[in-house]
Amino acid sequence: MPSLVVGVSGINAVDNPGPGIGVARSLREAKDLDVRIIGLAYDAMEPGIYMDWVVDDAFLLPYPSSGHDTFRERLLQVQQRTGMSFVIPTLDTEMPFYMKYRQELSGLGLRTFVPTPEQYRLRGKDRLGELARALDLELPRTEVVSSADDLERAVDRIGTPVMVKGAFYKAYEAHTTKEALSHYHKLVAEWGYPILVQEVVEGDELNVVAVGDGEGGVLGRVAVKKMWITELGKIWTGVTIRHPAMLEATDRFMAEYRWRGPMELECIVDGDTVYLVEINPRFPAWSYLATGVGVNLPARMVRRALGLPDPASEARDYPAGKLFVRYTYEMVKDMDRFQSMVTTGECGDCAREGRASADEPGGTA
Amino acid sequence: MHRLRSLALNPDGFAFDPTTGESYTLNATGLVVLESLREGLAPDEVAARLVEEFEVTAEEASRDVDDFQDHLRTFRLI
Repeated sequence: MPSLVVGVSGINAVDNPGPGIGVARSLREAKDLDVRIIGLAYDAMEPGIYMDWVVDDAFLLPYPSSGHDTFRERLLQVQQRTGMSFVIPTLDTEMPFYMKYRQELSGLGLRTFVPTPEQYRLRGKDRLGELARALDLELPRTEVVSSADDLERAVDRIGTPVMVKGAFYKAYEAHTTKEALSHYHKLVAEWGYPILVQEVVEGDELNVVAVGDGEGGVLGRVAVKKMWITELGKIWTGVTIRHPAMLEATDRFMAEYRWRGPMELECIVDGDTVYLVEINPRFPAWSYLATGVGVNLPARMVRRALGLPDPASEARDYPAGKLFVRYTYEMVKDMDRFQSMVTTGECGDCAREGRASADEPGGTA
Repeated sequence: MHRLRSLALNPDGFAFDPTTGESYTLNATGLVVLESLREGLAPDEVAARLVEEFEVTAEEASRDVDDFQDHLRTFRLI
């Protein structure tokens, strides 16, 4: 019987991958943690539901936007059914809920390791100027807009091309004001306000994944250079790097903001100039790379939250030059699991004896 | 020079910059020039080494070393 039951969201391992599978896989690989993984999904077709070598059991949740009460009620149902005692939210849209109800959930036996609402606000897209100054990074010319007129004026001032960015997700490059307006309306409809209009800067996309201990320290951090990205801008091939300015900026962020939980620092680097793009308040979809080079951030986070020691085998550092390569893969399944998810919102028999599965890449069953 | 020395260089001429993640491929001449510069040789000493190892004149070797250094500057490696 596993000693720890952890819920992980974002198990939508699709072309715009959620971070959940990398997080779940990392927990699975932490030999000292006897973990049962509960996949928290929003759609019966999220691939993680069917990846039974990573996810033991899966439940459908209502979208957080359907109301916090409904969401909380469902989460507590899952807790009652599974004994789930820890949740790792990995999607931006879930963060407001988990931050707001952190203490209440903890009182009900459901622990998290998320930032405070104040920390979350300080790294918001509308505060990037302050953040860049605090971290000693440059910021591409950026304007926060909340109307079409504001947007047109911002594009005039910045000059094309510009990036038009949504409040939570997605960014589009626009070469004309008309194109920027079209992106603006699409993003507002999908993610709401505010919208950012940002100068396009040239350079390499370098990112850092890290977890803050909430007291100014860093539980671990790994930097990557994106070598190949999809049309949606998602990393497909990357390589670990040791970029001093970015690693120092990460440490400074943790110290300055006393950040609690995972984060992703996104930058564009042109020679010695490091531009801040944004800081995401969650694990990125590529975070398994850190685990692969010996820095298992989800496991470290869970241990810290539960007051467990890190095993002596935990790496303190990581090598540069380790390649991260994604690939696509297919599974063939009976309909029963899908039917169960659609009709009851859960699949109670995902767990199987032994981890090796015929579907698991490299599996032996 | 620090950046140049921090490059991970393999004998086949593949160089990886651990700071930026950039990688480069070098031909046999480039590999000798890069290794020589990393050893701290002056450009004229590097050119002399090229004359020893390849069938080139001193003038050609010197031009090659200059060109190579221009590339390194472009890549901000020196």
